[in-house]
Amino acid sequence: MGEIAIEVRGLRKSFGAKEAVAGVDLEIAAGSLAGLVGPNGAGKTTSLSMMTGLLRPDAGQVVINGLDVWADPVAAKAVIGVVPAEARLFERLSGAEMLEYAGRLRGLPAAEVRSRAGQLLDVLDLAADAKRLVADYSTGMRKKAALGCALIHNPPVLFLDEPLEGVDPISADVIRRLLTRLTGSGSTVLFSSHVMELVEQVCDHVSIIDQGKLVATGTTAQVRGGKTLQRAFIDLVGPRASDEEVLSWLGSSSS
Amino acid sequence: MARVLVQLKLRLVLNALRSSTAARTSFILSTFFAVVVAAGVFFVLSLFRGSSASVDLTTVIFTAFALGWLVLPIFAFGLDGTLDPATLALYPLRTRPLAVGLLAASATGAWPAANLIGLLGVLVGLASGPLGLLVAVIAVVLQVLFCITLARLVTTSMARLLRSRRGKDLGVFLFIPIFALIELLGQVIPNAAAHGGITAAAFAGVDAWMRWLPPGLAAHAIQDASHGRPGAALARLALLAAVIIVLGWLWVRSLSRALVTADTSTGSSQLRGAALPLARYGLRGAVAARFWIYQRREPTSLVYWAMTAVIMVVVSASTILGPHQHPAVVIGSAATGAIFVGYFHANSVGLTGPPFVIEALALTSRRSLRAYFSGQNIALGVIAVPLLTAISLGLAFAVRNPAQAVPAIAVALAGLGAALGLANILTVTLAYPMARRTGSPMRQAAPGYGSYTFGGILASLAGVGVAVTPVILAAAFTSTAPAAVRAPVLIICSAAYGLALAWAGVQIAAREAGARLPELCQIAVQSTA
Repeated sequence: MGEIAIEVRGLRKSFGAKEAVAGVDLEIAAGSLAGLVGPNGAGKTTSLSMMTGLLRPDAGQVVINGLDVWADPVAAKAVIGVVPAEARLFERLSGAEMLEYAGRLRGLPAAEVRSRAGQLLDVLDLAADAKRLVADYSTGMRKKAALGCALIHNPPVLFLDEPLEGVDPISADVIRRLLTRLTGSGSTVLFSSHVMELVEQVCDHVSIIDQGKLVATGTTAQVRGGKTLQRAFIDLVGPRASDEEVLSWLGSSSS
Repeated sequence: MARVLVQLKLRLVLNALRSSTAARTSFILSTFFAVVVAAGVFFVLSLFRGSSASVDLTTVIFTAFALGWLVLPIFAFGLDGTLDPATLALYPLRTRPLAVGLLAASATGAWPAANLIGLLGVLVGLASGPLGLLVAVIAVVLQVLFCITLARLVTTSMARLLRSRRGKDLGVFLFIPIFALIELLGQVIPNAAAHGGITAAAFAGVDAWMRWLPPGLAAHAIQDASHGRPGAALARLALLAAVIIVLGWLWVRSLSRALVTADTSTGSSQLRGAALPLARYGLRGAVAARFWIYQRREPTSLVYWAMTAVIMVVVSASTILGPHQHPAVVIGSAATGAIFVGYFHANSVGLTGPPFVIEALALTSRRSLRAYFSGQNIALGVIAVPLLTAISLGLAFAVRNPAQAVPAIAVALAGLGAALGLANILTVTLAYPMARRTGSPMRQAAPGYGSYTFGGILASLAGVGVAVTPVILAAAFTSTAPAAVRAPVLIICSAAYGLALAWAGVQIAAREAGARLPELCQIAVQSTA
């Protein structure tokens, strides 16, 4: 493994009696496109929030490109971009204003921000809606706008929480290519997803999280172990309940 | 179908009782108020017995109820699950039985019952003789039926709009005239009553045109029947019934259309300029631009400014309207305006909501936090300074003492500086999540954080109060100085003092925020945007 871009050690977080993240250790090499998969409520979003300095962990350390997120948040935040699960955007700004604001918050010169925002809106197929309020965007459009905001300062490390949820297949393909291109140039991407096919297709590193713990982590081939990722995931996490017997009436033509 | 929907409505009510303490409290309070309204309206209507203007006043009350039914669904959309036809669109239901069911569901509950019982006060106040009493009962039932059908027609035909962003904005904007009306009536009515301006006789003839509206038809039918004109009474009731049938027919049509119309937004227009203003002024400029845009485009922000203006006017209203002149009240108005500007923005993280996370990711140093808070203050100051100055000037003229404008403006400037600086500090130290409760267009403190709101207003009141005291004293001690010297010196010194206070607030807030950003992010994420 080359230089480590994301290093997580002993990360823990509890909400009351519930332990959402129960000791996560993770290493992602620079230039990697890594996937974090897990069932609903497994601790993916909580882990990503702690890795990006948005949620204070109870214990553990997160180091990004050699910078400790919780000891030196200033320097660490400067090198990351984040797309949260629920696109948290300013509803009353237009798409163009939103991207421009994100860039200017990052200290980019106004002219540079404007030109980058225009290009990103173009690539993300939002140019026609650039002057519409974000409040009127669909879920997929919000996701794309959030990605534009996260990319505008060209971060060396990008975190994405469910980046393709609600995005149409054409835009999803654009985003996939964008992420591949980003990692090709040396940046590191870590994203969480439910879509196993996508993770299997694009990621070179996969981690499976369940009940706040990593149950598998390694290269995609290692985690798959000769099976599809979907199969490996189900084998590791296990089906939640047997439904075949209970719903015996389902599928019959009688009501 | 009627039974199923009535059961659904009752189930929703019961679930409210079984859910959180807040929901239970609000349900119990709502039922309590319904009982108070029923008893109160019954009592008021029965008081009109023998009055020369009893039919006029009854007409006004009937019309007011219809107006309430017309406006309330715009606020309460989402409060009543049976109000939105889209929730029922998935099921194989025929329009006619569905309409009857929805009507029955509408008539179920404490408020429709309160409406019916309260209006039956006409049996005492307006009706006389067996025919009068019979017509009164029919007229009240028809009036309630009219109100329900009208409300249903409004909700159904506006359902698509009400679900959209613009509909929700409309609900928020309706808050302004209603708030202004309540505040001003609170001042005007006691004043007028104190000077003998409000008597039953003063209302004679107010129903000149209202009598031809459906609620007026109901009220006048009762009078006709009581005064031995059964033909006229019957004609009015028939006309009212016809109006209800037409409304019902329109509603059924609108319902069958609403069930198959796409649930989309109302289409959104493009903004003219796409570029963020103040591009040359770095992070401070960017934050100021964002806040400035939000003050214009966010309905809640506009409502806050309108409420500030209304409150300032209301503080001086008794002096403007009453016979006694207390010109110094204008200074009170200015200070109150500053207090409310501070209070309304004392939880800027909660108000910003989840997008604050984007800002937090970039707010990495003390310097950037200073730029963030000062940018915010610049945007708010650009609106607050001219607004408070203009209102203070206007009020000084309204109390026929223009000279009072000088100390009032001075107090406004110093108070605003203190209020904004304090708002920055409170944003960091007393942040709380904001939530949009069902039925309320405005966001409020999330359940369990009510005391934070109280803390915010108390801190703003005390902070601004203490901060403006030296300005008020300076104005009092210099009241005999030549105006040409006093006015500029007082205003410039107060402005500088206000700026210094705001600057101090920014410094303290930036220092405190550095260590609390993750916690502030969590509060932002818990808020509803």
